[in-house]
Amino acid sequence: MLSPLLIVVVLSVVIGLLMIVLFGYTSDQKAIGIAKDQLKAHLLAVRLYRDQLHVVMGSYGKVLRGTGRYLKLAFKPLLYVIIPITLMIVWLDRSLGLTAIQTNTPFLLTAHISDPHGKDPQALDGVTIDLPPEITASAPPVHVAADNEVVWRLVASQDGSYDVKIVAAGQTVTKSVRVTSQLAQLSPERWRDHFWQRFFSSGESALPQNSTVESIVVDYPERNISLGVAGYEMNWIWLFFILSMIAGFIFKELLGIEV
Amino acid sequence: MYKSSNSVGHQSEGKRLRIATVFLLLAIILAPSAAHAYAGPGAGFAVLSSFWAIFVAFLYSFYALATWPVRQLFRFFRRRNAYGKAVFNRAVILGFDGMDPELAERFMKEGRLPNLAKLRDKGTFNKLRTTFPAISPVAWSTFMTGVNPGKHNIYDFLACDRNHYLPFLSSAEIKGPKRQIKIGKYSIPFGKTEIKAMRKGTPFWHWLGKAGIFSSVIRVPVTFPPEKFQGVLLSGMCVPDLKGSQGTFCLCTTRAQGDKFREGGVRAPIEKKNGVYHAYVPGPDNPLAETAGHEMRVNYEIRPNVAGKTAQLTVGSEKFTIKVGEYSEWIPIEFKAGLGFNAHGICRFYLKEVSPEVEVYVTPVNIDPGHPDLPISHPVTYSIYLAKLYGAFATLGLAEDTWALNEHVLDDDAFLAQAYGNHHDREQMLFDALDKTQQGLCTCVFDTTDRIQHMFWRYLEEDHPAARDVPKSERREVIQDLYQRMDKLIGRVMEKIDDETLLMVISDHGFKSFARCMNLNAWLHQNGYLTLKDGKTESGDWFEDVDWSRTRAYTMGLNGLYLNLKGREKQGTVDPSEAQALKEEIKQKLNGLVDPASGTVGITGVFLTNNVYRGPYSENAPDILVGYGAGYRASWDSVMGKVTEKIFEDNMKAWSGDHCIDPRLVPGVLFSSHKFAEEKPAIVDIAPTILKLFGLALPSYFDGKPWDLAPQPNATKVPAAVPAT
Repeated sequence: MLSPLLIVVVLSVVIGLLMIVLFGYTSDQKAIGIAKDQLKAHLLAVRLYRDQLHVVMGSYGKVLRGTGRYLKLAFKPLLYVIIPITLMIVWLDRSLGLTAIQTNTPFLLTAHISDPHGKDPQALDGVTIDLPPEITASAPPVHVAADNEVVWRLVASQDGSYDVKIVAAGQTVTKSVRVTSQLAQLSPERWRDHFWQRFFSSGESALPQNSTVESIVVDYPERNISLGVAGYEMNWIWLFFILSMIAGFIFKELLGIEV
Repeated sequence: MYKSSNSVGHQSEGKRLRIATVFLLLAIILAPSAAHAYAGPGAGFAVLSSFWAIFVAFLYSFYALATWPVRQLFRFFRRRNAYGKAVFNRAVILGFDGMDPELAERFMKEGRLPNLAKLRDKGTFNKLRTTFPAISPVAWSTFMTGVNPGKHNIYDFLACDRNHYLPFLSSAEIKGPKRQIKIGKYSIPFGKTEIKAMRKGTPFWHWLGKAGIFSSVIRVPVTFPPEKFQGVLLSGMCVPDLKGSQGTFCLCTTRAQGDKFREGGVRAPIEKKNGVYHAYVPGPDNPLAETAGHEMRVNYEIRPNVAGKTAQLTVGSEKFTIKVGEYSEWIPIEFKAGLGFNAHGICRFYLKEVSPEVEVYVTPVNIDPGHPDLPISHPVTYSIYLAKLYGAFATLGLAEDTWALNEHVLDDDAFLAQAYGNHHDREQMLFDALDKTQQGLCTCVFDTTDRIQHMFWRYLEEDHPAARDVPKSERREVIQDLYQRMDKLIGRVMEKIDDETLLMVISDHGFKSFARCMNLNAWLHQNGYLTLKDGKTESGDWFEDVDWSRTRAYTMGLNGLYLNLKGREKQGTVDPSEAQALKEEIKQKLNGLVDPASGTVGITGVFLTNNVYRGPYSENAPDILVGYGAGYRASWDSVMGKVTEKIFEDNMKAWSGDHCIDPRLVPGVLFSSHKFAEEKPAIVDIAPTILKLFGLALPSYFDGKPWDLAPQPNATKVPAAVPAT
């Protein structure tokens, strides 16, 4: 199995290269170069004429205007870059951002029940869980009436992909649970509505519109990647951020792309 | 019902998806976590750079604001000395190299120069006495230091190495690092390149700076290497190109090798491979090579489009298309020496021809102002600032390629396009400096006036030998147009200044025709002062075949004549006790020398330098200065130490006007917004005058005398500019 660190390093370099090339092709390189040069010139003017207040203040204003112009020029390539990279980060986050459930390690599963007619203390009583044989409840469910939530503490005995069934108001909905010690694509949440949460946190289809279950969340632990230096660990996204920036910086110099 | 409900749900979801697509980007940026907002290194750099720029600017501004009161207080006490007696808040000095008072007067009379006429009417117009000799590096050195050449050590573009009878650049000496470490095939320089200023004396803006007065100094000649002072300075004339020369162009051509260029340029072959033409830009010698002469090169490709009369050029990562008769932008090029050592330059490409042959002219490789390998400004960041603000610009001292026009590599239009392109860049720098320097000194020298008069004087005269073949209908009013352009520039400057500003428009010398050449070495030879080796009637360049053991005098450069003095020259023959008598003898014979072809006096003045110069560097001067008459100048061969059979000959080159003659015949101009009482102003007076106008004490070593402002009944007013048309 490839180590997560190696995967992040390789991905950072490859994506750093691809994104820089894409940025180069989709941007007005000459205009960006000029805008950056102008910014640098106004910064230098502040230093060169530091005893002349009118120059300092005028240059500061020009830096602000120049920054706006520069960001405007960077916006078009941003449009091209942001969609694929966002999708990719979301997809990768399901593998690299979370650790799958380990066997014989308790985890929580939370069902959020909608209650459109107001607080009904009895609403949570009818919510039950139907577990596959490899997963068992290690404690009775906890009802959190204030949040309309039912929380189960579960334990898996064997690796595999399982569907846990939640029955509420006569309807059954399912939620996948992944049990493995390997890297795996995880879907920590399943939502009925909430497009953005589904987009970013769910790898499953939406819950039916008429279901009283609004969301089901499996509490996968966050994954931190060991850097192998003094036991230091870091979330993959920050590591990716730093490494892809470094890779991007190197490739932009090598390819002569203005960013 | 369930199905229906589900269907509605899907429709609803689809609608949401469409909306989501539209708002995805905003949502990603505004709503989710920072991690999700990260959109790759490109966008990441953009965001980081922006914030970095704002942050740094804020820090600088904050620092400037926070310390401003303290600095103002500090400056207040210093300034009280400087400005307490100051007559003006600001002085703006525009230098138009070579602007001629007679032409200026003529064009003013013809109504071509309304802004200069305004200055003349309300302020001052006078001839400005120049230096001996009337050569730009000499005169501008005197302008900035306020002393005669004996105190600033500049006597010509070139000085004479008395040990080898060879010239060297008079203004600066560049030496590579003394130590080198050999690693394999490389010889790595260890230490810094040493650039030594040969011009002595202190520019007057240093004195202003010491009193707390800020100066912006742009392209004043002989300011390389730049020296520290309170202000900003961009070096001018005498800045070398990347090869270390004063400008070496390259003609890339598919034609079989032609004649070698006498000076100023090289040919490089263009070779065709697989339908693509390959050429190169020659660069400096590789500093890592064990032996000298390993020229670095940058290869480039040419893809001509014969039908479209264009060509696409690929130089490194730069790809651009130019038309025949058109210049490229400044293109950055990098010469790779190895081991990561690179030399950074810029040049422009001019497409001469795509069919039947392919020819590309490449300007001398200028030091890249945005990435200077040698210091060309003070502070170093000033040239970078200008390059970032306006783009790359010519940094070479003699940026207008007069040699290329002389050698017919460029035609008139191409030369003018190049000259006015450089001039445009200079104007931008001037106006930026005017905006930034609301108090203090702002001075800028424009070379265009000098170069264009040198190259187009032939059209100003009926019978100039260099224009005899050009029909009158094809002669253009280039010089008239030049003066009018300068007048418009002055008008725009006048719009930028107020009553508290003194505007001076000056030139270092005037101009005259250069129709006839005189080979002074030939005259010395024919009069027994210079002897060639037996059997020789002519010499090669730099005194090849001269018998020094029988030579008493020689000349190199434009006006200087040297005795072959014992104890000074390596093979000196003249005893110092006989030197004065020999100088007098040569003076007597040369003075009033007549050109037998025309009966005109070719030499109107001969000056012994021990009478002209005084100062600690006088001994470096030539022994005699030769003042040619109007229409005459040292021949091209004589300047290069060559002895020919003929003494006088026609000048057939485009370089058809000159000023390296009797200095009394080519004074410069002085215009000013305020009237000066001085009747015979000299260029040496400007430094003391400016210091006096700012209320500063004058150093005792000055040779110039400060001018007084003429008393005026009413308050002086800067004349309103005539709007540019």
